[in-house]
Amino acid sequence: MDVTSTVWFWPMTAVIQIEGLRKTFRGLRGGARVALDGFDMTVEAGQIHGFLGPNGSGKTTTLRTLLGLVRADSGHMSILGQPAPDALPEVAPRVGAIVESPQFFGNFTGRRTLRLLARAGGVPAERVEAVLAQVGLRDRGNERVKAYSLGMKQRLAVASALLKRPELLILDEPANGLDPAGIREMRDLMRELSSAGITVLVSSHILGEIQLICDHVTIISRGQRVTTGPVSAVLSGFDKGEYRVRVGDLARAAEVLTTAGLPVTKNDDHLVVADVGDAAWISEQLGQRGMWVSELTPLTPDLESVFLQLTGTTPEPGAPRQVDEVVKPGTIDLGEQP
Amino acid sequence: MNLALAELSRLVARRFVQLMAVLLIAAFGVTMATTVAGSHQPTTAEWERAEREVQLTQARLEQFRQECEQRRVSRTFCDGYLEREPRVEDYLFGVFVFSHEITDLLYFMIAFLALFAFLVAASFVGAELTSGGMTNLLLWRPQRATVLGTKLATVLAAVLAVSVVASVLYTAAFYAIAQATGVPGAVDAEFWGDLAVTVLRGIGLVLYAAAIGFGAATLGRHTAAALGLVATYTIVWEIGARIVFEVVETARPEQYMLSSYIAAWMDGELSFPERYLNDEYTLTWVHAGAVFAITLALIVGAAFATFRQRDLA
Repeated sequence: MDVTSTVWFWPMTAVIQIEGLRKTFRGLRGGARVALDGFDMTVEAGQIHGFLGPNGSGKTTTLRTLLGLVRADSGHMSILGQPAPDALPEVAPRVGAIVESPQFFGNFTGRRTLRLLARAGGVPAERVEAVLAQVGLRDRGNERVKAYSLGMKQRLAVASALLKRPELLILDEPANGLDPAGIREMRDLMRELSSAGITVLVSSHILGEIQLICDHVTIISRGQRVTTGPVSAVLSGFDKGEYRVRVGDLARAAEVLTTAGLPVTKNDDHLVVADVGDAAWISEQLGQRGMWVSELTPLTPDLESVFLQLTGTTPEPGAPRQVDEVVKPGTIDLGEQP
Repeated sequence: MNLALAELSRLVARRFVQLMAVLLIAAFGVTMATTVAGSHQPTTAEWERAEREVQLTQARLEQFRQECEQRRVSRTFCDGYLEREPRVEDYLFGVFVFSHEITDLLYFMIAFLALFAFLVAASFVGAELTSGGMTNLLLWRPQRATVLGTKLATVLAAVLAVSVVASVLYTAAFYAIAQATGVPGAVDAEFWGDLAVTVLRGIGLVLYAAAIGFGAATLGRHTAAALGLVATYTIVWEIGARIVFEVVETARPEQYMLSSYIAAWMDGELSFPERYLNDEYTLTWVHAGAVFAITLALIVGAAFATFRQRDLA
């Protein structure tokens, strides 16, 4: 069955609300690691919400805690308006989730795996064929799971999450192991689900995908929220009004623009000019002086550069970064960040 | 109910369970084949010789009884000594006598079933905890006690069904062997009643083994944890502590050993000598039942209590 045939209408309310979530993992030998340190997140109905963070920042712990697999030390959570994890048994039929790479029983076929899950969850068996087709496994459903590639297992995982016709879909690294075509199919699937009214919370390291798919984003680092809001707003907060300028006489052009009060960075074959309010002004100023602009391109920040800057994880040549070498939230000036 | 059926499907489809079932059938098959190979229908000559032996023995026993009474030894002692009348099958050699041997054969079957149940139950939860299958299930049914309880109930029900079927088939097969290549022996109503009690106790022991395996694997989050518990207990307590008890001359060392209670459970009661007294003490199936209940409560109870609280990977 096509998910677009069923449409849910949602008022703009918080589907996921997390406040002050704390979790410390303690080892048997007394060691302790703070995974979540007062983390906050809100996901509104109908959003495709990206959840980003470096390795070990607390993404999976957050999702596991939200889904009742990990017990929080403190904080408040609600899911679909119900307190979590206490009300999870009531809301679970409305929530589809995959957490990291789910393991399935290798000797079962994909189809049997889904049928058993459907039986355990009281879902009609007809849904199995629908979701198998939806994730592209219809013709491979009778093969044993242990014969599946990583990408096929990932598709099976997504199929299992879709079985329940969820109102909320929580996907942890759904593109993990997928080939380029599979990544695009996953992107299309999420858009399709979103257009059907399903709220999607997706965690991923493929930032280009997140930027393409998601309308909202939350970034976590060292167990704390770094920033959150619409993707466009997060990106615009880092938009310095920079333009790449190519012109015949770079030195003279740089002098003109600097004299006009604009910060200019000179590169081998182009200039980067910041604080540009109106691009036409650059063209006009240089043209009046006989310098004809061959390229004038706005340099808008992408999610990857914003992520690396916010989390302090920008790689430096010759200096391998350790997993926990991230910037503590609050030490970066976020300016007008939402 | 849906969850239980799903769990049953998972249990039956497990390769390990299938392998254990094949080994179980193979072990029973080898036992039966050995029995058939070592038995034959008694010839007329063997039968007549056995009957003569019975008559001679009866005569000797009668003489013994008269001497016993003349020496004015207590009547109870004499009757006790003469309690069992000699039977023809006692003097048939190389012949499988069902009534003589089925109890020991059932003990063998129960031991094998207990091992089967322990390993299957431990792996059923241990493998799921290790692989993440349990996590996947909890995303669907976020009710930990229900999920774990259903899993335990499913494996116990499956073990019970296998044990009942195996016991019936096993007993029937040996009875058929006795009819074909041996002799059934004295199989009256009392005999069948005693045999039924032995089987019931055996099945109880098998279910106990399954629950302990399940609980230990849940506590240790791994199938190997259950095997480790058994190995550790056997080496440290049954062997190590037994030696220590001997050295310090503990009065009743057997009463601290689970193996004593297992034997008492199967036999109904079991007597051990008192170290410093010319007497003996007895452990009964009731004592054994109490010990089983306490160990079950400790291990399975702890498994459920920790599973409700623990973070799942």
